[in-house]
Amino acid sequence: MRGLLQLFAAYGAGMLFVLLEAVSLTLIIQYNQRQGEIATNSWGLLTAYVDRSSDWLADYWGLKNEVIKLQSKNIKLMEQLDNARYSSLNRPDSLGRDSSERLFAFTSANVISNSVLSTNNFLRLDRGSNYGIEPHMGVISSDGIVGIVRAATEHFSQVMSVLHSQSRINVSIRSTNYFGTLTWDGRDPLFMQLEAIPRHAKFVVGDTVQTNGYSQIFPSDIPVGIIRSVEEVAGNNFFNIQVELFNDLANVRYVYVVKNRMKKEHDELDRAAND
Amino acid sequence: MTNAIPINIIRFIGLLVLQVLILKPISSGWEGFIFVNFIVYPLFILLLPLRTPMPAALLSAFAMGILVDAAYDSWGVHAAASVLTAYVRPLPLKWLQPREGYNVNHSPTKKRMGLRWFLAYSSIMMGFHLLVYYSLDAFSPIFIKSILLKTLYSFPLSMVFVMIVMNIFNPED
Repeated sequence: MRGLLQLFAAYGAGMLFVLLEAVSLTLIIQYNQRQGEIATNSWGLLTAYVDRSSDWLADYWGLKNEVIKLQSKNIKLMEQLDNARYSSLNRPDSLGRDSSERLFAFTSANVISNSVLSTNNFLRLDRGSNYGIEPHMGVISSDGIVGIVRAATEHFSQVMSVLHSQSRINVSIRSTNYFGTLTWDGRDPLFMQLEAIPRHAKFVVGDTVQTNGYSQIFPSDIPVGIIRSVEEVAGNNFFNIQVELFNDLANVRYVYVVKNRMKKEHDELDRAAND
Repeated sequence: MTNAIPINIIRFIGLLVLQVLILKPISSGWEGFIFVNFIVYPLFILLLPLRTPMPAALLSAFAMGILVDAAYDSWGVHAAASVLTAYVRPLPLKWLQPREGYNVNHSPTKKRMGLRWFLAYSSIMMGFHLLVYYSLDAFSPIFIKSILLKTLYSFPLSMVFVMIVMNIFNPED
């Protein structure tokens, strides 16, 4: 009781003030038609806003689960595509038996840090060696290629972006299969340069550039970009080609890490050939 | 100093009568010119003795406001503005405090504090009261232009009445 009195002595004026203002405002809203209508209207607007916000939040949380589901669905589909399988058929099998085996496996990952502004850009993913991610694996998004894993810890991995001065990606022009190397000059994050396409190659501006699978890092036939301009430099046997990427590396969020299940064999082959 | 309570009761009744019986008919006589409203009753809050306990000031301001509301048929609007005006009164008093301080037994009247001091004090308080009153009357920030115009027009006219009352009676407390 004494505590209550002390409380009232200390904050009584403030409490009385709030009480009297509350009584006054209630009177205003109850007994004045115009103010009452404004209050009802504002209250309606407020509740509508809160409802919309909570809807948006529910959508957002639902979306996160939906993304995870779609990622695993995508992986299942991607792993059934021809370019992700090793075919052991010499002739089409009339029985329709599945005579191919898995070559590429995919792991979904989220980008947790990214950059496109420097000449050597890196991304960081929230998946690491716990999910089987190792250095030299490729990273793709649903629209194109993203980079190559450079290092992995248990929970995270560092990816060298294709927007890196050292990046060299083997690609081909889809219509004619001429192959070249995709590099980046460090200027526009939407454009990369296609090198080593010989002067005699035939193609047109607007042709699609895709991976060719020579490096065993990316599956073949992943669309990378479109040829936007071609330049012939005097005294050079190759074209200068500008390729506009399909994926905007500046807003990439969900990616897939590509694992080549026969990489060991390729390494053994390399070693045997070098001996 | 024991007669502070009767003085304030008389002032309460006098200002209420002035506001309701004389100024209200004058205000509503200016038909169509809705920007003008003579408001003098907050003078009661302004002139409460400095030692008045805050709860007493709030309650008497609420009583004054609700009685004016009864006459103006605007339940709660004047009451809310009056209570707020009474609650913020210590602030302008603090800003305008003379170097030697106040005598807490006095009321902040023109006779005690001087014309210049009283003009500053009553301008702040009346301006604040009018702004709050018209804001609550409009009840939405979208009417901000009309709120400011009404405050601007009513302020000098109300101040004239406040100064007339102060000059006629020139109370010490």
